[in-house]
Amino acid sequence: MSKVLMKGNEAIGEAAIRAGCLNYFAYPITPQSEVAEYLSRRMPEVGGVFLQGESEVAVSYMIFGAAACGERVFTTSSSPGISLMSEGVSYIVGAQCPAVFVNIMRGGPGLGGILPSQADYLQATKGIGHGDCRLLVMVPASVQEAVEMVMMAFPLAEKYRNPVMILGDGLIGQMMEPVTFPDHLKTPPSNKNDWATNGMDTRKSKTRNLVKSLYLDPEALNAHNLRLKAKYDRMREEEIRYETYNTDTDYQILIVSYGTMSRVCQSAIDTLKAKKIEVALVRPQNVFPFPEQAVLEAASKSSCRHVLSVEMSMGQMIEDIQRSVQGKRPVHWYGKCGGDVPTPEEVMEAVEKLIPA
Amino acid sequence: MAISTSTATANLNKITPRFDGIVVIVGAFGSGKTEVAVNLAALSREAGSEVWIADLDLVNPYFRTREARVPLTRMGIGVVLPPEIYLHADLPILTPLVAGAIRRTEGLVILDVGGNDVGATVLASLADAFHASSLEKRPFHVLFVMNPFRPFTGTLSGCMKMRKSIERASKLAITGIIGNANLMEETRAEDIEEGYRFVRAFSEKSRLPLEMITIPYPLLKQTDITHFSCPVLSIQRQLVPPWKKPAGFHFDRKSDS
Repeated sequence: MSKVLMKGNEAIGEAAIRAGCLNYFAYPITPQSEVAEYLSRRMPEVGGVFLQGESEVAVSYMIFGAAACGERVFTTSSSPGISLMSEGVSYIVGAQCPAVFVNIMRGGPGLGGILPSQADYLQATKGIGHGDCRLLVMVPASVQEAVEMVMMAFPLAEKYRNPVMILGDGLIGQMMEPVTFPDHLKTPPSNKNDWATNGMDTRKSKTRNLVKSLYLDPEALNAHNLRLKAKYDRMREEEIRYETYNTDTDYQILIVSYGTMSRVCQSAIDTLKAKKIEVALVRPQNVFPFPEQAVLEAASKSSCRHVLSVEMSMGQMIEDIQRSVQGKRPVHWYGKCGGDVPTPEEVMEAVEKLIPA
Repeated sequence: MAISTSTATANLNKITPRFDGIVVIVGAFGSGKTEVAVNLAALSREAGSEVWIADLDLVNPYFRTREARVPLTRMGIGVVLPPEIYLHADLPILTPLVAGAIRRTEGLVILDVGGNDVGATVLASLADAFHASSLEKRPFHVLFVMNPFRPFTGTLSGCMKMRKSIERASKLAITGIIGNANLMEETRAEDIEEGYRFVRAFSEKSRLPLEMITIPYPLLKQTDITHFSCPVLSIQRQLVPPWKKPAGFHFDRKSDS
């Protein structure tokens, strides 16, 4: 298929359809409402369903219900809406159901503002719900990458029987870029017959499937949590994804940055190169699991003096970077989270402050 | 912001869009209304007109005319916006200054409207101002921006549906078409040609005149514009993500080569 010009939010909706997801439940919130706007037109065209819940809490349980039946299902929201969904997310994790959650982040805390932000990093990677609850978290940096990640997210959610989150900042949802969609998505067949409550007629087994997150017996609950932990450990083994930029130089500074913020950093790195200042970038594509080894290796290069986390939050990624770097280099932070995205010039200034005159 | 004061070449002059009175810019979400509106405003101002531009986008949270207010104001264009403290509010604020601008008796007033029927609904509430303007016999244009590389407007029937829904919501009849076929920086010369054929076909089907097409400024020099039946507006992108620089406004073709 040839290129089309799409807003990130529209492209995310279309990508879900192309991934074979025909169930979309959501509640509108800026800056992601265009997903609902788009899918309210597109879902009927492809025989799918868009249903607006009465709240995000309701939506999270609509997702749970559809996922428990083995249906591909997803939702989109923005920061305050994701907070409301977090109870349902924990139930879905506990019940081991696959689903895709998209968070197009806006400024917080509370109502915050409607402009871009990356301040839900800790929520997404460490605190998305109560209990030992983790999501695989993917962070696209372009509209095209958002499309690819949404299409990967459904099979990954099924592989792990665990929700996957696409964590994009407001710009990912709102900006327009040319995109191409693969004509056919070849995903592995769903394993739903092994666990979903999709009726006895559809499978050979006589055993009924039961979907639940309640384990009153302490030993059973512990065993259940060990099974979940084994899945998170497997994600750490198999789902590390990142890109590097300018790492083949004798850089003094290593930037770690993700999402659209990393594109600002790339722009700054190019300009600094012209000024004979080499800076490298590690861009995590997944932030849970975090590319610890890649960051450690890049920071350990003998020319590297400092590591700088550049993010649209007050330094939420720093702890992951420090843990990765293991004290070998000092880790600094630069960022803004009021809604103004730092400019390449501001990033350059933050970098230059770290370089001795 | 390099603003050249020299005049365009004679060839370009003939095919440069010229508007007076009220120009209402409508179209589908993401069809490029704002870039068209700000570039038309800048071009008209450069040609010596008094120009006002009003940001009527009540539905889009980012990438609105208000983000280009600095270069526009610097050129001497009147930019009509909601009060500063509400610039980033997620609220449908329609300042009374818009009705005031529409009632102006001279110069060019461009209204940059939000996308789809939802965005065009605001126009219905300006009916009184439009009526007052018509009593002054001010030229009145409602121009439909089309980009066939966007979802829902890639077919003639899709565009027809969009046109009707916008007319219904705005309670205004569209008077002409602006062909804005583009894939942003990835636009190629053949996309311009393909887009031109598409909007010509729509013009015939809808019986709406093709008022102009747009060409991204970097492509302008390599495009043979003499075979187009309508004026050409070059688009210099002002609303860009933070890792890119807005193009600014350049008007002298020669000085740029």
